[in-house]
Amino acid sequence: MRILRFVVRRLLQLIPVLLGVVVLTFLLVRVLPGDPVRTILGQNASEADAAAARARFGLDQPLWRQFLDYLGGLLTGDFGTSIQSGGSVGAEMALRVGPTLELVVIAVSIALVVATVLGVWSARRANRFGDHGIRLFALAGNSVPEFWLGLVLVLVGYSMLGWFPAPSGRVDPDTNLTPLTGADLVDAALTGNGPAFASAAAYLALPVLTLVVGVVAPLLRSVRASALEVLNSEAYVAASAHGLPRRTLLYGYLMRATLLRLPSLAALVFGTAIGSTVLVEYVFSWQGFGQWALRGLLYRDYPVVQASVLVIALCYVLVFLIADVVHAILDPRVRI
Amino acid sequence: MTDLRTAGPAEAPKAVRGSRDSRFSRVLIITGSAILMLVAAAALGAPLVSSWGATEIDPASTLAAPGGSHLLGTDSNGMDIWSRVLYAARLDLGIAVAAVALAVVAGTLLGLVAGYRGGWLDDVLMRAVDILQAFPTFILALAVAALLGNGTVNLIITIAVVNAPAYARLVRAEVRTQRELPFVDAAVTSGASTVGILWRHLLPNSLTPVRVIAPLNCGWAMLTLAGLSFLGLGVSIPTAEWGAMISLGAADVVGGRWWTSVPPGLALFVSVLGFSLLGEGLQERANAKRR
Repeated sequence: MRILRFVVRRLLQLIPVLLGVVVLTFLLVRVLPGDPVRTILGQNASEADAAAARARFGLDQPLWRQFLDYLGGLLTGDFGTSIQSGGSVGAEMALRVGPTLELVVIAVSIALVVATVLGVWSARRANRFGDHGIRLFALAGNSVPEFWLGLVLVLVGYSMLGWFPAPSGRVDPDTNLTPLTGADLVDAALTGNGPAFASAAAYLALPVLTLVVGVVAPLLRSVRASALEVLNSEAYVAASAHGLPRRTLLYGYLMRATLLRLPSLAALVFGTAIGSTVLVEYVFSWQGFGQWALRGLLYRDYPVVQASVLVIALCYVLVFLIADVVHAILDPRVRI
Repeated sequence: MTDLRTAGPAEAPKAVRGSRDSRFSRVLIITGSAILMLVAAAALGAPLVSSWGATEIDPASTLAAPGGSHLLGTDSNGMDIWSRVLYAARLDLGIAVAAVALAVVAGTLLGLVAGYRGGWLDDVLMRAVDILQAFPTFILALAVAALLGNGTVNLIITIAVVNAPAYARLVRAEVRTQRELPFVDAAVTSGASTVGILWRHLLPNSLTPVRVIAPLNCGWAMLTLAGLSFLGLGVSIPTAEWGAMISLGAADVVGGRWWTSVPPGLALFVSVLGFSLLGEGLQERANAKRR
């Protein structure tokens, strides 16, 4: 039960960080310029109207009072009411998470496979022609602005070739897909809706490809570096000096040792993917979490900003925790 | 918890045996520098090689295809794409370099003090760094930029704030190991002041990883800047900036008019690639030296 103790200790360590995030976002949205009430009422609204609206959202209360209310709500799982839409922030967020997770999970999974295969291949040919090619590809992928890449893919895939649907929406509305989880591909599979599945996959193709390029590049470099480390380790050199068959060397020694580092790399790359997703969702008008959070930020919708920032931070740190635990389970050498 | 893309390695670059390849790294450094010099020359020489101003409108032709008096055509406002791509290099390059410089200075100072003093100051600073690093870097930049508002100075501050924690952590780690070395004890014994030790002994010795990472970071800063402008959180319209130009032409691209968004994106891509090549080359050289 060492692992359980480790998890509990790490979760306890997260509390001050998350509390800091909560306090910081709460203060920053309020201290910095911008008024959420003015964004819904317009600049010409009378002072009395604005005051009434402020009172409705509790913004006339002293700061400490607002903060305690917010914190009390958080503890009972209530994220507050959106100033823009008047709806429950928690319910709105639940609608938006599915589409984004669908994008990120598919893209990161593909990227992990591609990066592992190419990274190991490249390391085994270190400093030869193929290796240089892979490294240049990784550098290029690292340098390409993903929102522009998305546009270029739309230009080629939709405007010129017409192979993919227009960058608006996530599934063809004519397929009558019943929403369940919000992730269209999953919903189509669950309801056995074949046409909807095909349509959702077609809509997913270009945004996923855009994300994959952005994610593969940094991942590929790290996989290559760790594979090189394994190749030069004494254990590997000894094994190959003993004349073990190539297959055993490749799968039993090189791949196994390299794969150990994948969970940590996947966690690191997850952050990159979240950031890129905001841009990719914008390019493809993908109604996901990123678009929702962005609009909240632009309209100074305090509850939406607070909720989305907290959720992103929470996901991010939890992903790191999960990666550490998986690593500890896979690798008996890790002492936790 | 830094972004893989931001800063390369979170700790000092590790030596990987068998990666010695001085010729390849030399090619990388030379190509990267050449690209960057070309971009800088384009930025400086923009008025010489373009016939239109950065925000000059040609009312006679909007969305004109490339050719004629407009080398790369015009956008929906009738502004010349070629001229704007060149002028934009000034802003993109300038903001990125200024922001990274600010981040390096601020992060290094914080890391130096935290690492040398230790104690509560170290605790407070590192907890602040923890909080800032609890976010994916682009998300943090997005939030800070949205809250600060548009403008060049705000963009520089935003990108610096996002990147400074990584440098603080890096320098702090170096200082903490070096503080224990005999040469620091020797300096203390011989009566050197704290500031003198920090400035003359610890600072120069802690900067090696920073030097390798800064160029990569400049490339990332350009991508962030353009990404923010693309979302409408960067420079104000109609300033010539690559991300804003791509955003302005996005709707036309869907209609098949490529010239509004493709050239600025290509310029951005090539410039960032310059920084990446340079950074990769420097990193490889640093790795080779460590052996």
